[in-house]
Amino acid sequence: MSLELRGAVVRRGAFRLAADLSLPADGVTVVFGPSGAGKSMLLSAVAGLHKLAAGSMSFNGRVLEDVSQRIRVPAHDRAIGLVFQDARLFPHLTVRGNLHYAEQRRPAARNAPITLEISRLLEFEDLLDRPIHNLSGGEKSRVALARAIVSAPELLLLDEPFAALDGRRRRDFARVLKQLSVDHDVPMIVVTHLVDEAAELANHVVAIRAGRIVCDGKPADAMMRPEFSALLDVRDRGAWVQGVAGIGSGDGVWVRADSVLLASAEPKGISARNVWPGRVASVLREADGSILVSLATDKGYILSRITPEALADLKLEDGSTAWAIVKAHAL
Amino acid sequence: MVRAMLTAEELQILSTSLGVAGRAVVFSLPVAILFAWALSRPRFPGQAALNTIAHLPLVLPPVLVGYMLLLAFGVNGPLGGWLKATFGIQLALTAGGAALATAVMSFPLMVRAIRLSFEATDRGLFEAAAVLRASPWDRFWSLALPLAWPGVLAGAVVAFAAGLGEFGAVITFASNIEGETQTLPLAINAALNTPGRDDVAFRLALISLTAAIVGLLAAEGLQRWARRRLEG
Repeated sequence: MSLELRGAVVRRGAFRLAADLSLPADGVTVVFGPSGAGKSMLLSAVAGLHKLAAGSMSFNGRVLEDVSQRIRVPAHDRAIGLVFQDARLFPHLTVRGNLHYAEQRRPAARNAPITLEISRLLEFEDLLDRPIHNLSGGEKSRVALARAIVSAPELLLLDEPFAALDGRRRRDFARVLKQLSVDHDVPMIVVTHLVDEAAELANHVVAIRAGRIVCDGKPADAMMRPEFSALLDVRDRGAWVQGVAGIGSGDGVWVRADSVLLASAEPKGISARNVWPGRVASVLREADGSILVSLATDKGYILSRITPEALADLKLEDGSTAWAIVKAHAL
Repeated sequence: MVRAMLTAEELQILSTSLGVAGRAVVFSLPVAILFAWALSRPRFPGQAALNTIAHLPLVLPPVLVGYMLLLAFGVNGPLGGWLKATFGIQLALTAGGAALATAVMSFPLMVRAIRLSFEATDRGLFEAAAVLRASPWDRFWSLALPLAWPGVLAGAVVAFAAGLGEFGAVITFASNIEGETQTLPLAINAALNTPGRDDVAFRLALISLTAAIVGLLAAEGLQRWARRRLEG
């Protein structure tokens, strides 16, 4: 059960995306990378909207495309859904009409939520009879997501599905999305350039840069590799941590180095619920003069950014004991 | 009201004109939609030829179009002979023939309006439909046509208004037969060529002008209305 890309090459103008990948066909896979890396192009190719220039692609054993054998299953026969970044709702139909469009075309055998159920879940029940042009950006993206779910795809691709939502809603819907994937047994591939979103959604991560796969694997592994770290802005450097108190679900979150305090003695009488003891694994001086301390804890490696003065005060060096303190609400 | 303002002869001419232009639109619309759809697609072999065929009536002298129709659909022409022998239908010198000539002449106008409408549709919507399992045929009916509806409507109305004024092709192919093929411009021409009927020609010209203006205003209004429904 997987999505396999073998020697797959996609071209658009001078840009070239090459992928050799085997992605699990369950849970949520996050495709992460800076803008212009080729993330959306990868989704387009998997959905059948963009031809492969070379190589092959199959899903759960079914060949979708094989350039050397001249096989190409058209998009409408792939049973692969795609939620576009710009929603692409049909302007001549109401919200309900858009969902019915998907409902009418799904095979009878596929079990999927009906319009009313999904509109409740994504909180737009009261918008069902509205024309599309009366919706806000956030509302459109929720309806587009609902439409894709209602069509009961065997694999659902989502291109920055929460781009139009604010922070709180973003987290709420990330949770709903993950639940939908489990409840309806729909594997999902989600494109994002936000590291927090990647950490919270992913069961599996693929990192892309300039048309190349940089690394892929479970988030605890892939997101902790130097190749992954190299994709991040200095301010985004951090660690994937599971089981942070105060975050709610037991899934992973991205703990930025900037939101971690260090203490050289066990802190007492503080409000933070996340205090983890560990050993200093490395001390790095960054280009901007700040110090990045990596602490090996039973939660895995935690990164903290401190000033050179703080480093001198705490007298931290490789192997010394320290406590990492994280305020959950800052994440 | 119209009945009170017009003479029986004028009513007869107006109704012939409306009938001819109406039939011309009804019969050419499906063909024009297919042509417009094909021309709005990404390049394919034969597209240039199709484009030329669609626009030929725009640059040919109308009399030549009428003559070509006569050659093809005349009683002794290959198509006309076959129609007569198989279905007993005669087009030359009939109102049906006038409608055919009118349809051919207004065809480019109709194709153009509909094609622009197809081209203005966001291609991304078709991709969105494809990933919801809509086949190309399904996408044409469920998306392309409903979204291009304002253009189709406008194309039909403009073609109708233009059809009311078609002269050269009609008179060559269908001749000027009172009560059968004598449309407004043919009647105006006949009146102008008959001494003492200048006032008749003038009244017919006014009727013709009014019909054309009403047609154009209707096309504009319908298009706005349809766009409002689509875009809000």
